[in-house]
Amino acid sequence: MKLLSKYNSVNLVATIIVLLLSAVFYYFFIEAALIHQLDKSLVGEERELTDYAKENNQLPEPSNSKDEKELYTLTAEKVINRKFSTVDLFNHKHDETISYRQLEFPVNAAGKLYKVDVLKSQEETEDLVQLILQITLAIVLLLLISLFLINRFILGKLWKPFNSTLQQIKQFNLSGKDEVHLELTNINEFTELNNAVSLMTKRVSQDYDEIKNFTENASHEIQTPLAIIKSKLELLSQSENLNEEQMNFIQSISETTNRLSKLNQSLILLTKIDNKQFRETEEVDISELALHHLNNYEELLHAKNITVIKNIEPNLKLVMNENLAEILIINLVTNAIKHNINNGSIQIKISRNTFSVTNTGMELESEPSELFERFKKDKVNSDSLGLGLSIVKKICERYGYEITYHYSGLLHTTTINFLS
Amino acid sequence: MKILIVEDEKELSDGIATYLKGEDYICEAASDFNTALEKIDVYDYDCILLDITIPGGNGLDLLRELKANNKMDGVLIISAKNSLDDKVTGLTLGADDYLSKPFHLSELSARVAAIIRRKNFDGNNLLIFENITIDSRAKTVTIKNKVLDLTRKEYELLLYFVSNKNRVISKNAIAEHLWGDDMEGNNDFIYTHIKNLRKKLTDAGDSDYIKSVYGMGYKFSIT
Repeated sequence: MKLLSKYNSVNLVATIIVLLLSAVFYYFFIEAALIHQLDKSLVGEERELTDYAKENNQLPEPSNSKDEKELYTLTAEKVINRKFSTVDLFNHKHDETISYRQLEFPVNAAGKLYKVDVLKSQEETEDLVQLILQITLAIVLLLLISLFLINRFILGKLWKPFNSTLQQIKQFNLSGKDEVHLELTNINEFTELNNAVSLMTKRVSQDYDEIKNFTENASHEIQTPLAIIKSKLELLSQSENLNEEQMNFIQSISETTNRLSKLNQSLILLTKIDNKQFRETEEVDISELALHHLNNYEELLHAKNITVIKNIEPNLKLVMNENLAEILIINLVTNAIKHNINNGSIQIKISRNTFSVTNTGMELESEPSELFERFKKDKVNSDSLGLGLSIVKKICERYGYEITYHYSGLLHTTTINFLS
Repeated sequence: MKILIVEDEKELSDGIATYLKGEDYICEAASDFNTALEKIDVYDYDCILLDITIPGGNGLDLLRELKANNKMDGVLIISAKNSLDDKVTGLTLGADDYLSKPFHLSELSARVAAIIRRKNFDGNNLLIFENITIDSRAKTVTIKNKVLDLTRKEYELLLYFVSNKNRVISKNAIAEHLWGDDMEGNNDFIYTHIKNLRKKLTDAGDSDYIKSVYGMGYKFSIT
């Protein structure tokens, strides 16, 4: 529920209740006041009539209009109580029932006791009360219409800065260089919100930059000692008097160092893709890139006697980051070579929107879906870091490509669908 | 050949110097921006190994200074920041090559040699090792005036060996040199290449210079 409708519904219900209550209050108050007025005029009539009877010793001609009636009744009763009452009389002339306020009192005229009823029509009073009701209803209606119009036109405009701020927050991208552009507003709450938002985004960006710098610096700090270890090992291996065992140690340390450094680089790459770096994009010819890299590994393929079947449609062009495209292809191709068997085969297929690599290989021991997870390796193979496919997957995710892995009869197929 | 190593890590700088001295290079080291700037202004070097993050400034500024003064020194950037931005900026500013840390000293030495050869406009692009003559511009190898028919990778391998003659080169370093670091760990491939190259060299009537060093790699030497 929108804040606005919530507020309106509460507001509206309260307003209508108050209005109706006040209408009821009006109704009774005004009715009482008017009846009081009528009673007063009835009392006046009474006095007039009594005075007339005293002076003239007879009763005046009774009037019998629609608004006012006087009725004289000769009575044998000794005592007649003076009393006000309300009566409904049917008016034949107008064919309607009219309420009358009536005062009953005794009058002595010519020695006889009359019971006099003076009646005054309450019609006007009722009309007035009805008018009040109508006015109240009209006000309620007017209120509803004005609320609707305010919602529709004015409040929408009033909330515009808020909505624009919200939009900006939604579009806020940490790795993006663009800052949030908040609309200027003269409403205090929104100004405060905007200030808070820009302060927050600035702080978040700052923190993010710090973390990024930290990652980069940490990698720098790690690579330098690794470089020192590596160079010293290389110098050590130049020594003339090493025995076999020492050589093995050197080799083993050297390989471990390589792994460590490669691991570090791969993790940095993954983080960078995660952080949406590599923003620059251009049109990359995937077909050409694949051919180029296949060519680069020609001798390797030859050494393992791997047959390469190229089924490459030219001019598959994608708009993406060139480095990522290269990493993607190199990873897939080298994977197909590394995990291949002697005298095996690799089939590379590029069609309009798909790129697939099929290679012969060993039997798969783990779940195919797990292969894309970080540090998942099919076999305990110290040469492999288990990051290659997760990098491939990360790149695919980045561009919304679909990557699938299929395995059947010692044939491993990785397919990327660029249209998904 | 004079080489300037601009690198703040003394251990690394020393390691590089020790290795390169074996190739008959004269090495000088500068561990901060100002020392490097002074040396660059006063002397000419055949090749400068330039770290980007050094105390007192940015290595790229040294590169700008060099280019502003029309110095012909070759520049090889060695940076731990494997960041593509730095690489592109460095190469655009006129660096000759870029090598990210950690690297194999044999790789560094080969790159330095390549830069110096390229800078040598006097036409001396020939590398000679005993009977083998490598023309690095034409990318041809001749043994006793007979042109050797080598594949591209075999040529690169031979060049790498000759650039690091008399040194033990690890299989990893060779694999990385030939195929980039993505093929590291598949060192059994190298064996085939070595075998083929060795055969081509001996078939051409030369002796077998490629010595296996048990457990570590290979060494290209007469003895």
